[in-house]
Parts: sequence; structure tokens; C-alpha cells
Amino acid sequence: MKERTIWEQIADSFRSRSIWMLHYCTGCGAMELPPTMTARFDMERFGITPMATPRQADIMLITGYLNTKTLRRVIYTYEQMADPKYVVGFGSCTINGGIYFDSYSTINRLDYYIPVDVYIAGCMPRPEAILEAFNYLMEKIRKGEADGWKRYKENYDWYKQNQIRSLGEVYVHDEFHE
Amino acid sequence: MTSSMSNLVKILEGFNPFVEEIDEKEVKITISSDKVVAVLETLKSNGYSHLSLMTCIDWIDDNQLELVYILFSWKNGGKFLVSTRIDRNDPKFVTVKELWPVARFYEREIHEFFGVEFEGNDDMKPLFLELWDEKPPLRKDFDPRDYSRKKFPDRKYEKDVIKEAKIFRGEING
Amino acid sequence: MGEVKLFFGPNHPGMNGNFSVHMYVEGDIVKKARPLPGFLHRGFEKLMERRYWYSNIALIPRICVPEPDINEACYAMGVEKIAKLDVPERAQWIRMIVLELTRIANHLMAVGGIGGPIGLYTAPQWGTADRDRILDIFEALTGARVYHMYIVIGGVRKNMTPKIEDMIWKTLDYIESRLPDYENLIFKNRILHSRLKGRLILTREQALEMGVTGVGLRATGVEYDVRKVDPYLFYDKVDFEIPTATEGDAFSRVYLKFKEIPQSIRIIRQALERMPQSDKVNVPVSKGSALRRIVPEGMAYVHIESTRGEYGFFVVSDGKNKPYRVAVRGASYPQGLYGIEKYLPGTRIEDVPIWLATMDVCAPEIDR
Ligand code: SF4
Repeated sequence: MKERTIWEQIADSFRSRSIWMLHYCTGCGAMELPPTMTARFDMERFGITPMATPRQADIMLITGYLNTKTLRRVIYTYEQMADPKYVVGFGSCTINGGIYFDSYSTINRLDYYIPVDVYIAGCMPRPEAILEAFNYLMEKIRKGEADGWKRYKENYDWYKQNQIRSLGEVYVHDEFHE
Repeated sequence: MTSSMSNLVKILEGFNPFVEEIDEKEVKITISSDKVVAVLETLKSNGYSHLSLMTCIDWIDDNQLELVYILFSWKNGGKFLVSTRIDRNDPKFVTVKELWPVARFYEREIHEFFGVEFEGNDDMKPLFLELWDEKPPLRKDFDPRDYSRKKFPDRKYEKDVIKEAKIFRGEING
Repeated sequence: MGEVKLFFGPNHPGMNGNFSVHMYVEGDIVKKARPLPGFLHRGFEKLMERRYWYSNIALIPRICVPEPDINEACYAMGVEKIAKLDVPERAQWIRMIVLELTRIANHLMAVGGIGGPIGLYTAPQWGTADRDRILDIFEALTGARVYHMYIVIGGVRKNMTPKIEDMIWKTLDYIESRLPDYENLIFKNRILHSRLKGRLILTREQALEMGVTGVGLRATGVEYDVRKVDPYLFYDKVDFEIPTATEGDAFSRVYLKFKEIPQSIRIIRQALERMPQSDKVNVPVSKGSALRRIVPEGMAYVHIESTRGEYGFFVVSDGKNKPYRVAVRGASYPQGLYGIEKYLPGTRIEDVPIWLATMDVCAPEIDR
């Protein structure tokens, strides 16, 4: 890894203090997000708040299994997000397919399609685990180790080829089909 | 069978049904496929107006598909399972969307998962799957594990966890 | 002004889960709408055919995320019906308590969650925080917060200890004491009234034609509840009322959910009092034979009243050690697919998330 300049180090340390997450619930792990966001576990004290649009969000939470239909939208969304961007994978489904390892419509491995910075184990991960993961991610950002977005740019062809292999085409069609 | 249900079964006698009692409030009626709509109409006009579920079963050994309509009566809590069998190689049936508008979506789903054509239902776009390129997935001869292997690569583990688990369970000797 | 295509969801903060509606709008009036489900499709019905009768218990709670226990209960009751198993009495009572506790948890979440789409952000905070107290009970009882896998074929996994019973009593008291606050904060609030009152009215004929169940139907003045019409477990032995309303609008649907909470509390209290003391809470299976359990040939349809309406499992067995076919009736099937296409044209864009939230369109159970 390249040495960071002093300015980059400062920028990274500021970045880690205020990460906005994209409000997109892709799977069942999203059920533990409301408790994490609200009064009881309150992740806002770490500077994490939900953000509605991908263009202003910093982290994307893949909260669980992704089927091919959602994966198309996730790739769209991920490519819309501005750099630097980080991805957190929730639960065993994103790690190795989890309980849906033999399903015909869910993917088995998230980092084959988009780069992942932190994985959380568990099915489903508890709010404490989610907070722990966020803290770990902040630590990684501060040290400049969370470089998934750079990897995506460098290995763009590899990721695209994998996406095409599993999805056929990464294009979202309109339901009216006109 | 409650008395009101057995009365209804008597009315249906003309359709030549095969009646099976599952429990006190649940009766299964098997009929030939050309009489299904008439039976459903009779049941609907006799209080069984709620279509709980419409589904399909693949009996691959008999080379048949079984369509099941589950009707429920909010008045007395009885359930009728109306079932019929159709040919598996060329599955065609008529739509019941005039009786229950929501059936349109059940039919769309069955078309997607079992490949049954419903005449009269013009909206047969895939509902759940996008760009599906295999045989209908809920048919018995479709193997999801193979498909998943082919399309979605697994994570490679350095340790063979599956083998270890098998040794642990005592299925193979390590 | 011409018509504009609008893709609403799946990535949208006002969206209720991972679901999408594609619309044509003119100004802010919806002209045409088409639901697009399938973002959570995992092929459950296929996966269940590939697993043993018993190991399916681990899989099925994941069909419906906000209210997982109904799946286990439905499936277990279906298998018991085919196999003609007798379930110990105490287990039945415990099942009832668990089901009602999830009902309260889900209602709290839904009543609070209505604040999201209309811009009343205190309500979700309260709802989620109070729901967490119920999750604490579940954690003590079953070991997990969300997916419990507690109700198994032939009973429940382990017994309810007096300590947990005590915990339930206390939590119920707490939740009951909070209800007036909810009433004041949410149901007397101007925002809620002006956004929900008189909106998205569904008449009785429309509701019955559409096949809606649950609060959507009861808000039109019909007292249809599976717990009363076709009682399962011991619902015919406890007394409770079914709240109904006659307006059929979005407000009355939310209010009915709120009014069901005290009834559920009533049911749990009666169950806790009348539950017999015993150690027998399941049909014991000797080690190793649970997975090899064989269920005789047959089919059965079991349905129960979830928070969203009639929820059913259709189980078919061909006499082997795996289910031959399991079909799930998602309670929000009619309103989430047919209802959107039929009743949303003519309303405004801002009403779409309100329809999804008040009619309880739950994407995972439509997609499965
Ligand atoms: S890991 Fe578990 S909780 Fe997470 S998405 Fe998969 S099944 Fe759901």
C-alpha cells in the first residue's frame, strides 16, 4: 500500500468520525437496524446516521442474502455512490451463502461482485455486533486500510466479468416493458 | 365434516367428486379438470367466497401436475381443498380471475414456477425471477444445488469444513 | 403536463422493505401502478423440499422477518395435523403466549413505524424501544432475539421457567402503562390526522372482493378474524374481543392495530394464569431420530391470524423423510400485488408508502 500523505491521514481521520449509511435494506439482517438506530443502542453517538440517497452516503450495508434481482440494484447503487465508499456485509449469507447455500436465486459470496470492507458474522447479527463492526470499520478507515473502493477501480474488469457471469446482464428493466 | 359442509358435498355430487376428509373442518375434493370452474362457482355462491391459496404440486412419478384451490368460509370456518390433475408435459388450464381477481397473481406465480399456461390470463410476465434461463424452478426435476454451483461460485475454504463436520457427525471415518 | 415514469423503490427510505412499485404519474397523481416484487425471493418452497421435516424449522422463520414465530407455528401445526400428533397442553399455551408476544412486538413496530412515511419521527423511536423489551423476553426464553426456532414439531423446544413468566408479567404491565402515551403522541397528533384520516378508503365490498384479511378487512366493519372463525390452539378458551372500525381509511387501520395490543395482553395474562404446570412441553424424540422422522402421506392447510391477516401453510407429504411440497400463503399477497394495481391509480404519490405501511405489505412473505 502506498504511504499516505499527512493530508490524507488527516482526511481519513475526519472521514471516520462521520459516516453516513445508505438507507437500503436488502435482506433480513435489516431487522436489527431499527434497534441499532434508535434509542436503545443509538448508533448516532458514533456519527453514523441513515442517508436517503446513494450520492451522499459513505457506507452501504448489505444486510443479508442478495438474490440476483437485488444484486443488480445493489451494483447500480454502489456505482452511484461517491468515493470514498465502504461496504459492510451482514451475516453468514453474505459470507458464504449461509442457510441459502443451495438456493437457485441467491448469491453465495458477496466479495466476488463488489469489494467488502467488513463482514459481520452471525445469523442474524445482534445490534452489539453491528456497533462493533462499525467501530472496526472506523478504525480501518483511520488507518487507511479500508480501500475497497480503490480495489473496485483497479480490478474493475474482474468484478464486471464476475457480475456478468452470475447475472447475465447488469441492467435494470422497467416493469411496463415498453 | 360439519353438517353444513356435508350438505354442500351433497350438492356437489353431480360433479362426480372424490371426497376426502382431512379433519372436521377441512375437506378435499378431487375432480376432473373440466368441472373445476363449475365446482368453484358453486362453492363460492355457497359462502366459500375467500380464496385462501391457489397452488400447484408436481407429481413427477405420475407425470401430472395437481392444481389446488383452497377456499375458506368466513361464516363457519370450513375449508374446501378443490384439486384437479393436469398433464405435466403440456400443462394448460383455464383462469379463474373472473371469480377472484387476486388469482391472476397466483396464476402468474404458478406459471413462473411450474410452467402452467392459464388460458384467458393475458398477463404472464415473470413476477419474481429476472432473466430466468432454466426450466421452471419448482418442478421436481430441477436441482437448485447444481444451478447454484454453476452460477454462483462458493467461497473456497482452506480447511475442508464439510468433511470435518461429517467426521464429527460420524458419517465417515476421518 | 405529460405523464412521467416513476420508479418507487426498492432503494427508497419511504419504502416498506425491499419492494418496488413502478408508476406513471401526472403531476402527483398516480395514473398507472404496477408492483414489482421478487427482491427477496430465495426459493423457500424449493429449499424446504430439500431438507428434513425437522431441519426445516431452522429455515422457515426467515420467511417473514418482523414476525417469525407464525411460520414455525403454522408449519408445526400442519405437520402435526398430517401426522396426527398430540401436543402437550402446556406447550399449546406457551405457543399462544409466544404468538401473542410477537403480535404485540410487531404492532408496536407498525404503530411506531407509521411515523416514518408521514414525518413523525418520535413514534418510531418509541415503538422500537418498547419492542426491544419483548425481544428481551424472547432472548431469555429462546436464546435469540429475532429468529427463535422455538416452536418445533410436537411442542416447543424448552419449558418456560417461572422467572420468565415473571418477566412477562412485568413487561406486560410496562407496555400497558405506555399505551396512553402512545395514544396521546400518535393518535391525537395533527400530522397523523391530516395525513391519514379519510385517505385510501377501502369499502367492504372492495375489501372482500380483493381477498384482504386482517386489519384491512376489519377496518371496514367486518369482524373476521381467524382466531374466532376457525380457532386454533386454545383461542376458543380465552376471551378477547376483535376491535373493528367502519371508516375503512388508513387511520382506522393503524388505530385498530393499536387497539389489538390490549387484547393481546389480555390473552397472555389469561394464558399465564390457566397454563398447567408440567415438565412435558414436547413429544420427545430420541437423539438422532429427529432428522429421520417420517410423516405419513397426506396434505393439510393450516392458517393462523398474523398481524397482517390470514397466514397459511399448505403442507404435502408423500410419506418420506422430507416434505413433498410446502406452499405459503403470504397474508399481504392480495393487497401487495392486486391492491396496488387496482386501488393506487387515482391517489397521490405520497399515499403510496401509506398504503404499503397501513395495509402491511410485507415483501419477504410475498417473495418467499
Ligand atoms: S445471515 Fe441470517 S439473518 Fe442474515 S440475511 Fe442470512 S438468513 Fe437472514
